[in-house]
Amino acid sequence: TAGNRTFHFGPCRVSISMTEIRSGFTAIKANIQARDPIRTLSILSYPHSLHKGKSLDRCCITHHLFNFYVDKVFKHCKTEDHYINRKISSIANSFLSTKKSLQQCHEQNRCLCGQESTEKYNQILANYEGLDVTSAAMKSLGELDILLDWLE
Amino acid sequence: SGQLYCSLPNPRNVHFESINMKNVLHWSAPESTGEGVLYKVKYSVYGVGKWIRKPECGNINRTWCDLSNETSDYEEQYYASVKAFLNGMCSEWVETTRFNPLTDTRIDPPIVSVSSTEKSISIILTAPEKWKRSPEEESVSLCQVYPGLQYNVSVLNKQTKKRWWFSISNNTLVVPRLEPGTVYCVSAQIHVTTPLLLSGFSKEHCIATLKDK
Repeated sequence: TAGNRTFHFGPCRVSISMTEIRSGFTAIKANIQARDPIRTLSILSYPHSLHKGKSLDRCCITHHLFNFYVDKVFKHCKTEDHYINRKISSIANSFLSTKKSLQQCHEQNRCLCGQESTEKYNQILANYEGLDVTSAAMKSLGELDILLDWLE
Repeated sequence: SGQLYCSLPNPRNVHFESINMKNVLHWSAPESTGEGVLYKVKYSVYGVGKWIRKPECGNINRTWCDLSNETSDYEEQYYASVKAFLNGMCSEWVETTRFNPLTDTRIDPPIVSVSSTEKSISIILTAPEKWKRSPEEESVSLCQVYPGLQYNVSVLNKQTKKRWWFSISNNTLVVPRLEPGTVYCVSAQIHVTTPLLLSGFSKEHCIATLKDK
């Protein structure tokens, strides 16, 4: 569909509806980030930004993070605002389809994880588990553009 | 002991205004405070623990502060904050929303240069450069920052008012099969698909095709 972008992670090819995800995030960004009062901690960027990991396996990290957002983030981000909730579920659906493609690559050994990537993902999980679930999920959702910027 | 009372009204509308990643913090004076209000500014990198004062914007009476230098790493995101002072009183610190230089900047139109032959015009487009600290610093074009950067180009036959539209990824365009001795006007816009960024249209550049020999 329009706005889909194909990413080539080595032998693994996945299509991500970046335009749809980006516009969905732009619509909720101010609302969601305003719910996150913690400036001093980042789930994705602590201690180092995703961009700084020069030898991260892009497929591995992308696979892990799409699982992370589907399994640990979107479901814990209910708000009292129906419009926001609809936008979140639309983003979640886009993530779901990409997650399945990445899962296939993983199962066919076309999405391998090196040590740095495994360590980075474990750090992300540790950052997430350092907060209560709702705060961690809301903070992660507010950082979606960090993932999208890194992907692009 | 010179204790400051933070009962002064807060600065308002504290926000970043960014063009080509020249990132300037702006705010409005607190309500009904009149002349003499001074301000302090601090900023922080999102996810990093500390606020950092901006000395050049300490005790200033203007209502803006250029934080381009401090926010030039567009792989990071930032907050900035302003506090007002007047007659021994102060306001609270008032923060911006989270600022992402990559998605929250505005892009200037491209620079357009045009040349012509009898039956065609050639257009060269140049994307603006990212803000840089000094003229000596190496220039970075925004098309390096945004790999998906494209140009929307409009070509107008000034006589017939017929207009063509083109959307191109590289920065040159040749429009063939035109009328000799006719004025054509070209205008262009930058379009980044994700994150979605759209510049204004450039000023029209008009040129006449050469006359038939």
